Amino acid sequence: MTANESPHGFPNFDAFLTVVDRDAALREVRETAETSTSRRRFLGLTAAGVGAAMLFTDATAKAAPRLAVSDISILNYALVLEYLQASFYTEAERSGALTGKTAAAARVVGATERAHVKAFLKLLGSNAVKRPAFDFQGVTENQRAFLKTAVAFEDLAVAAYKGQAPKLRSRPVLAAAVGIHSVEARHAAWMRELFGITPAVNAFDKPASRTRITRIVASTHFIVQQPKMKRRRRPPDYSG
Amino acid sequence: MKGNGDAPSAMRRALSSDQSSYEPAAKFSRSHAIMGTAVAAAGLGGARLIDRLLQTGDALATPSKAQDERILQLVLQLEYTEVAFYEQALRNAGLQGELRQFAQTALGHERQHLAAIRNALGSKAGPKPSFDFGRNTKSQSAFQETAIKLEDLAVAAYNGQATNLTAATLAAAAEIVSVEARHAAWARAIAGEVAAPDPVDKPITAKEAVEGLHEIGLKS
Repeated sequence: MTANESPHGFPNFDAFLTVVDRDAALREVRETAETSTSRRRFLGLTAAGVGAAMLFTDATAKAAPRLAVSDISILNYALVLEYLQASFYTEAERSGALTGKTAAAARVVGATERAHVKAFLKLLGSNAVKRPAFDFQGVTENQRAFLKTAVAFEDLAVAAYKGQAPKLRSRPVLAAAVGIHSVEARHAAWMRELFGITPAVNAFDKPASRTRITRIVASTHFIVQQPKMKRRRRPPDYSG
Repeated sequence: MKGNGDAPSAMRRALSSDQSSYEPAAKFSRSHAIMGTAVAAAGLGGARLIDRLLQTGDALATPSKAQDERILQLVLQLEYTEVAFYEQALRNAGLQGELRQFAQTALGHERQHLAAIRNALGSKAGPKPSFDFGRNTKSQSAFQETAIKLEDLAVAAYNGQATNLTAATLAAAAEIVSVEARHAAWARAIAGEVAAPDPVDKPITAKEAVEGLHEIGLKS
């Protein structure tokens, strides 16, 4: 449970939403999105940044948030998926292989995934896992391979967030997680449309367990060095 | 389609399963007697129940089965609106190409969502309301713009209630909200819009959701 949680619903939601945007990543998302479209939309760009600021709760502003151990575990799991996505889009953008609508979409999605990473890092503080080393094995250097992989990553992220959301103890974290969950679904549909396949296949998107997601990610061999938990206050182990 | 058939029953299970004990159907309806006037309103149709919900506001009590049901009444109105909107647009908007494919696919999904929610609510599910979408179902361009508004609204409305739901009903609702988000992104992509403009989708309150539905064409 976080320190600022109310036992009754979420009465301070508006206050939660108006937490100051202190993160350059959020501005990056907004600016990237603004240059990518000439028009604004209902619930559109004016809300950018405000939405992402949801992760920056009062609790994080004051000190390390008091999150349940299970929430920290879920957030670290989500952080690894966000690291994976952010690194993937960043590498694809830098490869210069993307063109047209795909390049424009990758810029927006990449900025968003980087914002998610920064937000989780801030929320987790010293409890955050480190960024693993990735090897995307060339899929960032070819537009079709990029899109195919992006579809897989985004569909995976949707299923992963959906599997964890009902298990979150902290309501502010849950509120942020569901807001990210639907953004990952938008990304999945966007990448599917660009790839030329149906953006929404079924009426109901199914969740996937952490075990299943971890197994799928491992099978890609994109993670070449597993992240480690930063050391807690536990003294180092000596074998001799 | 795979996995679709069991979703309504999954939602019903979610509603009728309690953390502590299983509550049979008879007790389920008895528990509603405690809700007093809200129960009476439920029998009279969705709109009045929505009024009750709005009076409650979004700073709702700790998640409970009764509260889940009030929230399901809200999303019932949403799904009714989506079904009616796509049905009328497919008849009257002269939809072609990918936009038509989108409308047909979305309609199929919204019908299944509606069926799942009606099934979960059982006899408490209000009747289909009336609609007037005006020009929004009469042309491709107006349809496209309204579809984006409606799907964005659906995402924001479901997300806005997430913290008010019990874990079981949240799990069922989460299977729907990401599909609404896919629809929103698809419609935006067809229109050449940024499909995911925010890093975190902004939630709306029940009141904002109902106001938005009325702006789009919900009449009762």
